[in-house]
Amino acid sequence: MTTDIENIKADEILDTRGLTCPMPLLKTKKILKVMNAGAVLEIIGSDPGSKKDLPEFGNKQGNQFLGMLDDPAGYTRFFIKRG
Amino acid sequence: MGSETFCGSIKEELNKAYSGFFKENWPTWLAGILIAFMALMIFLWSSPWGIAAGYRNLGDWFFFLTGASCIKPVAPLLHPVVIVNLGLFLGALASALISNQFKIRRAPAMEYLKGLAGGIFMGAGAALAGGCNVGGFYSAIGVFSIGGFAMMIGLGIGAYLGLKYLLWEMEHLPQKAVFQQPESQKDKFDWSIIQPYLGGLILLLIVAGFYIYSFLDKTELGGLLFFGLLIGLIMHRSRFCFVRAFRCPLMTGESEMVWVVAMSLMIYGFGSAVIKWNYLQPDTMGVYHPFWIGSLTGGVIFGIGMLLAGGCASSTLWRLGEGHTKLAVTFIAFAITNSLVLSLLKKSGLIDKLGTGIFLPDIVSWYIAVPFFVLILIGWVFIALWNEKSEKFVIF
Repeated sequence: MTTDIENIKADEILDTRGLTCPMPLLKTKKILKVMNAGAVLEIIGSDPGSKKDLPEFGNKQGNQFLGMLDDPAGYTRFFIKRG
Repeated sequence: MGSETFCGSIKEELNKAYSGFFKENWPTWLAGILIAFMALMIFLWSSPWGIAAGYRNLGDWFFFLTGASCIKPVAPLLHPVVIVNLGLFLGALASALISNQFKIRRAPAMEYLKGLAGGIFMGAGAALAGGCNVGGFYSAIGVFSIGGFAMMIGLGIGAYLGLKYLLWEMEHLPQKAVFQQPESQKDKFDWSIIQPYLGGLILLLIVAGFYIYSFLDKTELGGLLFFGLLIGLIMHRSRFCFVRAFRCPLMTGESEMVWVVAMSLMIYGFGSAVIKWNYLQPDTMGVYHPFWIGSLTGGVIFGIGMLLAGGCASSTLWRLGEGHTKLAVTFIAFAITNSLVLSLLKKSGLIDKLGTGIFLPDIVSWYIAVPFFVLILIGWVFIALWNEKSEKFVIF
């Protein structure tokens, strides 16, 4: 599963490192609104709260949360597919 | 395959418990129940749970030490609310260390300004409302003080205004991400190995703190330190955030935190009704929230502040324990502003015009107060559930 996530190619990348709740979620929602159906958004974040918020939000409004991956450098990569 | 030796079996079970306690996030609903239980313990042990008065004591000390005030405040380590707050902070810090989630976390410059503004708004709002999201809202409703319901409405309005600002900011003042490049791991000590031990040490020190207070004939304070510790642990492990109950229905439509807070309040309220109706504690204890002007306007101002800061009075403390430097700014601004605004309200006499504390059962009797309390909370949940489907109140 980890390998699958590692191989995902994102169409858009959103960097939220340093931002805390609720900004990563707000920015994610904003960018998803303008993405095409089927496109994948990668969110890079460092707020531990995002690990709870983004998977929950990622499966709403017809979107699909594909998974998350902790990077050894100290941040997390989240993947959401636009529905 | 499980271990068959006694020691092996114990080790296996401890590892499972450790993983369940400190690796996985706790369900929010469980935290809601546990927090209500802790709030009732604090109520029985001492008086209804609050947080802002602890912030204020530190603000009072700031003004005393800078010579702006000549009234010497109570020593922080003898102030009951400071002690609960200290326990909450240390409990969250211990939890963050044990789960290897502690890190000094920097934020973009603009976020520090928002943290400052958020602290100022929350400090002022809590001074007007006679408490923060805990003392002015959660405990107030839990002990049947009508001001709590007025602050609840105010928090909803404030969350709406605060969210409107965040949306405006996202369009007009976009911020660049801040990334702390990890230092080279070569020849560098790996703190993650000792973090869990440091966390365990903090837990042990707090337990020792209870015995020290008890030895000094201050068992009440020792108990409050311990209850605060448990609340900090619960809040950090579940990432329990009161702000989400007001913000998420407007932002994503999510209703989870609304029903969790409503359920938690019902448990707290039922417990408090048992305590008060039976006079285990005086029935008007904790009923001082200025209904309605102070509670409502304070709620609005506090609500804006919690959106700007990204944390309320309680989540500022537990997030501080996780290393968020932005919330250190919020904490200081909250403490100083709360002390200053309350002092100004008292000196100007304005505090008498904000309203008075009203005990709901005094007006309508216990027989109506309890069903009224339940109906309001159930109504809140139903509106949130309907909104989750219809997105009627989602503004983004």
